[in-house]
Amino acid sequence: MRIKSPNKRTLAGYIFLLPAVLFYSLFFGFPVIFSFIVSTRRWNMLVPLSRARVVGFSHYEYLLNNELFMRALFNTLTYSLITVSVSLTIALIFAVLINGAKFSVLWRFIYFAPVVTPQVAIGTIWGYLYRPNNGLLNSFLKLFGIKPVYWLTDPDVALFSIMLTAIWSGIGGSMLILTAGLRNIPQDYYDAAKIDGAGPFKQFWYITVPLLKPTLLFLTATGMIGAWQVFDLPFIMGRNAPAKSVMTVSWYVYETAFQSLRMGRASAGAFLLFCVIFSVTLLVLWTFRRGGIEGYE
Amino acid sequence: MNKNKKAKVRILLEFIRYSIIVFGAFWMILPFFWLFSASLMTPEELLSDVPKWLPAKPQWNNYLEVLKRIPLLMYYKNSFIVAITVTLIVVFTSSFSGYSFAKLRFPGRKIMFRFVLSTMMFPVFIFLIPVYYLMKLFGWLDNYLSLIVPFVVSGYGIFLMRQFIMTIPDELLDSARIDGASEFRIYISIILPLLKPALATLGILTFIGQWNSFLWPLIVTTSSQHLMTLPVGISRLSLAFSTTETQHLILTALVYQVIPMVVVFLYLQRYYIRGFVLSGFGNI
Amino acid sequence: MMRKLIVFLLVVALVLTAFSVFGKTKLIMAVHWSDYQVEGVKDENGNLVKKGLRQYVEEYMAFHPNVEIEIQSVPFDEYLKRILISHTSGEIADIYVLYSLWSVQLVESGILDSPPKDVVDKVKNDFVKPAVDGTTIYGNIWGVPIEVDNYALIYNKKLLKEAGFENPPKTWDELVEMAPKLTKRNEDETISQYGFAFLSGWDSAVVHPYLALLYSNNGKFLKDDFSECLLDSKEAIEALEAELELFKNGGTDPAASVWSFPAGKVAMMIMAPWYETSLKLGFKDEYEETVGVAPIPYMKKPATVGYTWFISVDNASKNKEVAWDFIRWMTLVDSNGFTRMGELMAKNIGAIPPKKSDIAYFTDELNDLYTSVFVKELEHTHQEPNVAQGQEIKTILMREIVEAWNGRKTAQEALKDAKKQIDEILAEFY
Repeated sequence: MRIKSPNKRTLAGYIFLLPAVLFYSLFFGFPVIFSFIVSTRRWNMLVPLSRARVVGFSHYEYLLNNELFMRALFNTLTYSLITVSVSLTIALIFAVLINGAKFSVLWRFIYFAPVVTPQVAIGTIWGYLYRPNNGLLNSFLKLFGIKPVYWLTDPDVALFSIMLTAIWSGIGGSMLILTAGLRNIPQDYYDAAKIDGAGPFKQFWYITVPLLKPTLLFLTATGMIGAWQVFDLPFIMGRNAPAKSVMTVSWYVYETAFQSLRMGRASAGAFLLFCVIFSVTLLVLWTFRRGGIEGYE
Repeated sequence: MNKNKKAKVRILLEFIRYSIIVFGAFWMILPFFWLFSASLMTPEELLSDVPKWLPAKPQWNNYLEVLKRIPLLMYYKNSFIVAITVTLIVVFTSSFSGYSFAKLRFPGRKIMFRFVLSTMMFPVFIFLIPVYYLMKLFGWLDNYLSLIVPFVVSGYGIFLMRQFIMTIPDELLDSARIDGASEFRIYISIILPLLKPALATLGILTFIGQWNSFLWPLIVTTSSQHLMTLPVGISRLSLAFSTTETQHLILTALVYQVIPMVVVFLYLQRYYIRGFVLSGFGNI
Repeated sequence: MMRKLIVFLLVVALVLTAFSVFGKTKLIMAVHWSDYQVEGVKDENGNLVKKGLRQYVEEYMAFHPNVEIEIQSVPFDEYLKRILISHTSGEIADIYVLYSLWSVQLVESGILDSPPKDVVDKVKNDFVKPAVDGTTIYGNIWGVPIEVDNYALIYNKKLLKEAGFENPPKTWDELVEMAPKLTKRNEDETISQYGFAFLSGWDSAVVHPYLALLYSNNGKFLKDDFSECLLDSKEAIEALEAELELFKNGGTDPAASVWSFPAGKVAMMIMAPWYETSLKLGFKDEYEETVGVAPIPYMKKPATVGYTWFISVDNASKNKEVAWDFIRWMTLVDSNGFTRMGELMAKNIGAIPPKKSDIAYFTDELNDLYTSVFVKELEHTHQEPNVAQGQEIKTILMREIVEAWNGRKTAQEALKDAKKQIDEILAEFY
């Protein structure tokens, strides 16, 4: 049922978007166009850009044929799929468990602790936990007679150790958002379900999960977007592992730009990364839409 | 008998529930605990190869030492001004645009929404040079504006708000429209109150992001020391190569950095009051 | 009357302040030092114990009232990035402290000013050779060296004695033989005490000790004209195989960490001068009886590797002459037998000053059990080559060496792959 003329609501739609549009044209549009131009130049950031040699799309070609860049893409793919799915599942379980529990403010606060702790500190702390000879995790494994693991130096393990830390540090943020989502589910639904004799697991599966879908979509999409750009933790924790096993795309872009002084190639890497993330995000939106949330994209 | 059994099952379930919560909480609090404990250690204890979980003798002096070494109050002030301003503006701009995307119909909506999503997809490093150039162009380099303005609209925030506003039933808005309320009025008097938990969430996350932000503030404040924020100030404690002499002070300073976030978190938690939302509207 | 006088005085005051503002030459100096290297070290009561850069700058400004110098310090990890980003927008510093390897790109892009002839002559005559080499790019000198670093073998005297060794190894073969005997294992086969630990974690850490072995084996990294990488030579492969020996015979493993040395868990390592304070902190009273320093055990001849920091002026600076004058005053002018920069390096920053007269003067600081070996080794120090894209090249070599350490490639494969990538980069520039 339309109450007002569509024209007015159309206009309102644009007006509400105005601040964002102004902002993005300046702080997003300009930098992206600038970087795109840079990606077709050979520029070391020291000479004026106008003097940089034009190289067309050769940076893109180089990257797509570069072993390390492709490994970085593969590592980041593994990282994003596993961290997002695992950390979201755990966050959902804990959000539901804590919601309505005694001392819920305290629990939520504790689970949120890693989110307020700077990533550098988290990297340092887990570095301690992961030490091969006297780290906490290995002494724990020892109790079960398991051989010590070289968490951060073994090329086959290092990326998974970093993912474990990332999953751990990502739970709190997702939990907070899921809790806000849980707050929006009317209590009546649960009351009605109880009368029908549904147990806690049925309530979770038939009420909580479907009604949280918009929130889950948000967390999956932004989680993916964030995970694809992961930089801090691998950069801090992966220094002693062979680069091929832990290098991520953002790390590659960073290193190419500010250590190798190849801003052109780095920008090309950023645009390739953008293409990948954009396709992945559309895929996520499409999957959710097929999963029955019409109107939520 | 049957009832008794059911009660037993429930108690067992509750027991399992709290065991899981406590087990998880133990692992979660570990870094906090270590950070605090390490902030009270001597450099020797930090260097020790056997990880120490508690200092032999708490070095409360570390906290005074940090105060002596860097102008912490000034850094606090700058960090607060920047983080609070950005948070307030982001909460506003996000809910504003989020409302438009969620509830208003206009041509190009889908494309524009995808565009907003796409703004989150570039690694931050490619923005450094062009945005610095803009700041210089506007003459903001010795000004708070260079720390605030590049962050006042957030794709993440818009997306989050849009998802939450979508769960608000259209009937509610339509009945307001029948009463002749303008879209702005609806946004103020219906959307915002219903959004409280979501706004608090966005507020917390934005504040933390700004409070801990390091790279950009470092780059723009090097030439204007009176604008340095806390993480930038703390980084001045670290030595060129060997950080061992000041490592303990850096961890102590990190505690100073984390404390205000505890306060912000607990304060904004107030908006998570149970069951005031939507429960009166029956079937949607 | 009174009023007129006041107005007159006000005008005079205004004109004077205006003059003192406009008449002042402002210099910006960019450094990568931390707070007490810049601000000085103070004791409990706030009295100055060791001068920092700020105190020297103030002294200079007191002598030259019309010059104002602003110090911009940025942590080492972010230093180059910050210079690049502000430079692209035309925000420049007048004076930079630079790592020799970065400066090749700066010189190629015309960023640095050629030093005045008297400065060049003094650098050539008064400074130690590795530092002069470090400041030389394509045959010209581009600034005044202020810090020179090299590497030596650090060993734990107690652990060596325990295993029956009175002296540190002289040759690499001896070291390879000793390392497993200094290694202790837990029941689960993990190493609890390392015979030897390699530096790792960043490019120089891995590459510099390897280059030391390469030079010691009479090898070369790059051709003199930088037209080709020589890592496929017999000498280069032997040098990496010499490192790998330690992984094969159990004297070390890829998880070894030099940072465990102060805890007594590492018997030998290759390290730089800046680690002294950490060792003193780690061993406290037992420092003197525990820590030993010796030249890096050699393969064919004694050799170690070094790098340099130097100070230079931006070509776009509006006050080049004043900037060079400050640099002269700070780094070249003799004040009571030493230079001010030499004092800052030796006393506050704890690095080796590259000026010969400073090395001779600061015997108390430089002649202790730790630093003295590094100073002596300056004569065997090969400066890492000042090649374009030096950082990128070094990172490539590091990655390949780490592959070999982890047993994923043989020494020959790793170096062949490194050579291939490095040659591609060299071809772009030479």
